[in-house]
Amino acid sequence: MLLQYATFRAWSVPGNSKWEISAYTLDQAMSHDEHGHSGGFEYHPGLPISNGKTYMWLFLSTEIMFFAGLLGTYIVLRFGAAAWPSPHDVHLVEEFGALNTAVLLFSSLTIVLGFEAAKRNQAAAAKGWILLTLILGSAFMGVKAYEYKAKFDHGIYPQLPRSQIWEKADMYYAAAVRTRLTDLRAEIAASNAEQQQLSQNESELSGKDAAWLSALKESEDERSRRDDICAGLLATEGPVAQAESIVRTSQDLVVINAAFQQLADTIVPPHNGGHEESTHEESGDADVHHVALNDLHPWLKLPICIPGGNMWASTYFLLTGFHALHVLIGLIVFVCLLCMRLDAASAGVIENVGLYWHFVDLVWIFLFPLLYLF
Amino acid sequence: MTTDNPLDHSLEDHGGNAKFFVIFLALCFLTAMSFFTYSSYWPRALDSDSIKRTFMMVVSCTKAILVILFFMHLWWEANWKYVLTIPASLMSLFLVLMLVPDVGFRLDNASRERRLHMAAEQTEQEPADHHEQTDGEEETENSEPKEH
Repeated sequence: MLLQYATFRAWSVPGNSKWEISAYTLDQAMSHDEHGHSGGFEYHPGLPISNGKTYMWLFLSTEIMFFAGLLGTYIVLRFGAAAWPSPHDVHLVEEFGALNTAVLLFSSLTIVLGFEAAKRNQAAAAKGWILLTLILGSAFMGVKAYEYKAKFDHGIYPQLPRSQIWEKADMYYAAAVRTRLTDLRAEIAASNAEQQQLSQNESELSGKDAAWLSALKESEDERSRRDDICAGLLATEGPVAQAESIVRTSQDLVVINAAFQQLADTIVPPHNGGHEESTHEESGDADVHHVALNDLHPWLKLPICIPGGNMWASTYFLLTGFHALHVLIGLIVFVCLLCMRLDAASAGVIENVGLYWHFVDLVWIFLFPLLYLF
Repeated sequence: MTTDNPLDHSLEDHGGNAKFFVIFLALCFLTAMSFFTYSSYWPRALDSDSIKRTFMMVVSCTKAILVILFFMHLWWEANWKYVLTIPASLMSLFLVLMLVPDVGFRLDNASRERRLHMAAEQTEQEPADHHEQTDGEEETENSEPKEH
């Protein structure tokens, strides 16, 4: 709601009759002595801030609603879920979140200092602070990219078909593991056939490159090794067949679920969460991160069982993705700022950009505990 | 310094930069406090997930208030800041609360088939207890014959 007041004088002629009307809707009227002027309106601003700042705050209000919707959805989904993974289950490192928080807080400080320098007409200092803010924002994006890669490397994606997260270790999960191993063996067989065909063609040529032949042999050995691993996992005595066989031999649901869970634990070991690390150390077991199939052989990329993992992945990538997009926009604006002369005349622009950047920092202040610490 | 509003005093000098460094240090301290619930100094009597999460959100809200008041300059602004912030905050809270009856309680009327295929329910306790409790809970929930 905008507060405005208007003072106007209107002259009506005929016959030298004059009348004045003054109307106030706010008690901050500024009076002006204006004699001898013809009729007209004088409007005074109702808000004691510039238009640009007003619009930026209105825009930030919309952004507040935007992120409130996303954060609220996350909160409600998370606390209404049957199961939710711990940060360690989804390879979320709290220290990286804390690092990103410190980086953004520092960048908020630097842009405030840049604004203050611009107000004092210290253009060079202002540009230096803005450059530092840009560097810190880029560092944030770098850490975020590293975290995303860590998720992708462990098969955690926001949606299919790349996502390999299963909610429950059951018969369908075992079937998915079997399908993946079968597909791997088929790919290896196809590669072998292709290489054999290629070798037959190349053998007719003279002057074969020794290095090429050596690489060819190495890849053949590697494929053979991988095929042996897949075959071993699919064998009768392998974990997949053993889990499936218990279904045929037992009627006890507890035993069946334990068998499938054991298969899941073979692929990705269960983590006990950050709070349990001290327990592990006290008991002398320093091996908090146990190694399993997907860690030993990253190329396997077997389906993983993370209860609540799909919902977690959806909300995590949605929240952090939108936040990262806002950070990226801020970085682009900083680049534009660096192309300007950042003197006192530009202080208002820097202030408005700073407001946007502080808002981005505000969102992360709430994202960090909700995603990393809860 | 230029502005299109003669009443705009935000471009005036409000003192040195020392206060911003103090606020920054306070923010760093509060960020470290977020991890206080993980430390061995956290009181045993308060060793509840709800209390810990409430503490973390209080810390976050304090950090947010410091950023809004000092970095975003609202400490020195006129009363319009209340017109802006209070309705937006109320709407944000309202938005979250309105999701609770539908989305928050979605599992209260979940179908039997959905419960068969979804992850096992967890309790309020530590995730480390998940696997031990999972077997017990599934034994009571999935009492019907298994489906293949």
